[in-house]
Amino acid sequence: MKHLKSFNKKAKMLDQATSQNEVEEVVAMQSIVGCTSVNDPGWEVDPFGGLGSLCQPMESDLYGCADACWWPAQVPDTMSSHPNWSQDVAKANEDWRKIDSVFPEE
Amino acid sequence: MNNNKTTRALLGTGALALMGLAAAPAQAADADAERIIRDRCLACHTETGESATPFSRISEQRKTPEGWMMTISRMQQQRGLVISPDEKRTLVKYLSDTQGLAPSETDGLRYLLEKKPNVVESFDQLLQETCVRCHSGARIALQRRTEDEWKHLVHFHMGQIPTAELHAGARDRAWFDIALTNVAPKLAKDYPFNSDAWNSWKSAAKKDLDGSWAMTGYLPGKGNFDATLRVTKQSADDYAVAVEGTYADGTPLTGEGRAVVYAGYEWRASLTIDGVKVRQVLAASADGMALEGRMFERDDEIIGGSVKAVKGNAIAAVTPSYIKQGERKVITVSGNNLKGNVKLGSGLKLISVVSRDSSRIQLLVEASSNARVGAKDVKVGRVSANAALAVYDKLDRVEITPSESIARIGGAGGPIPKQKSAYRAVGYTAGADGKPGTDDDLRLGYMPAAWSLKPFDEIAKHDNDIKYAGTIDRDGIFTPGDAGLNPERKMSTNNVGNLTVVGTVQDGDSSVQGEAHLLVTVQKFVTPIIE
Repeated sequence: MKHLKSFNKKAKMLDQATSQNEVEEVVAMQSIVGCTSVNDPGWEVDPFGGLGSLCQPMESDLYGCADACWWPAQVPDTMSSHPNWSQDVAKANEDWRKIDSVFPEE
Repeated sequence: MNNNKTTRALLGTGALALMGLAAAPAQAADADAERIIRDRCLACHTETGESATPFSRISEQRKTPEGWMMTISRMQQQRGLVISPDEKRTLVKYLSDTQGLAPSETDGLRYLLEKKPNVVESFDQLLQETCVRCHSGARIALQRRTEDEWKHLVHFHMGQIPTAELHAGARDRAWFDIALTNVAPKLAKDYPFNSDAWNSWKSAAKKDLDGSWAMTGYLPGKGNFDATLRVTKQSADDYAVAVEGTYADGTPLTGEGRAVVYAGYEWRASLTIDGVKVRQVLAASADGMALEGRMFERDDEIIGGSVKAVKGNAIAAVTPSYIKQGERKVITVSGNNLKGNVKLGSGLKLISVVSRDSSRIQLLVEASSNARVGAKDVKVGRVSANAALAVYDKLDRVEITPSESIARIGGAGGPIPKQKSAYRAVGYTAGADGKPGTDDDLRLGYMPAAWSLKPFDEIAKHDNDIKYAGTIDRDGIFTPGDAGLNPERKMSTNNVGNLTVVGTVQDGDSSVQGEAHLLVTVQKFVTPIIE
């Protein structure tokens, strides 16, 4: 990271994590059942255990962040399992009320 | 994909609990299940010719009822399986009974089946990094497979969810090789297909669970309750259930429903209690004399709590479980066949019996001002509840449970409801060393508390999370804010927030506070049978 200067808020926060080991620690942190500990970026929680570095508002970059299969237990994976999820909602930030969860078959 | 809203009501344990079983003898049901496998599954699976493992892949795994349900649902969703709801019920029952888990194999992992919220798991690092990044560790630990089957599971993940090797903690290493050569053999060793526990449980005679049970439990917003659970056998492993009881505030509780028992101990019941659909996910003890687990609302799984039921002569609960030196108050003892004299131990005086029947005794009790601090046994006739009533001098510490929690925004006209979070305060007295927070603290039990919220940190304060993220009510139930973009907030951010839940318990003239962490976050778009 010597020759790179952090540009955005998230990069600055990463920079503040004093060592690579510390980054590793937060990445592998335990999480509450139902939450992902994939946090590059995170879905529920950012790498620092807060909300500051999440994509917010979530709807504005939902597809950009989640597609096609980044948090498959939180957002349907449109690569293999649920290719048609949200296909009718082009703009999540406008039509978020039309986006439902996926459920198991009866 | 299925995002039909009617499915919401049939989810997971709900769907399992709804199963009405054919009133057929067990052997006929087994033959029926094997026929269904032949008719429905052999388009892809094959018959091996081995009597111990007759069907490829299927016969080399063991799972919980929810695990089998999930597998068959995935086959429907992803692999074109066509199966009727009746056939699916028969199959889940058969596979859970013949290729299930022994009670001991679910020890410490039942929270997943019980849908207990806000559980922080602890698995070893290899599993944490390889698997538990995306889903719970208990989802794995509640399965048993041969080593080949664990390897097939790794291959399945690479095929279905190839991004698994691109995440942080995966892309910097040979994730696939590690999963295949290190993790799969470890899983085969830790969670083996063949186990003595299952072999002996499978062949053991199982107890019928019919009869009259004394049940006690807690529901957020309602409080503690005690009730009689009347269980009537309809056919093998199929029971009609009626419940009648009282909440701690005197409100009556009545309901009825149906229960199915899988693998001889996995009780899944679906009841309507006072107009609300609820589920019970309980485990029966080997002697058939106790049922323990969680009961929760079908449409709001967070609203639930631990329940326990006992059969035979027994005390089920003593509530409240604490009394202060010099205090006089009503203590309720609930159970089955409560006959005989009440004995409370030294320092505790029975002033009067307020009410009494065979399942519930209300006692007016006074603790002397010099009663010795400690947990006392409560006896009724020949039955005893050990260390059931704590005498204390001073409330020294309050713990808020769960200590780490999440809630999810929702509603606001969208299809995904808000995911709430519910809290309770547990009181402790310091014990002999006089220092709260040490091993000798005496747990007094759940205590009523006043609830409030505050920002968790400076960022939460700066972003005014407290205004947007939600509210907590007098029962300790947190309801998160509305889903969607909020133009009032910076960058129109969602109503998420990083909060501290504060519970304040009154102890005479002083009060003691405890705190818990609450992260109010975004909704989830995947609703699995188990997380």
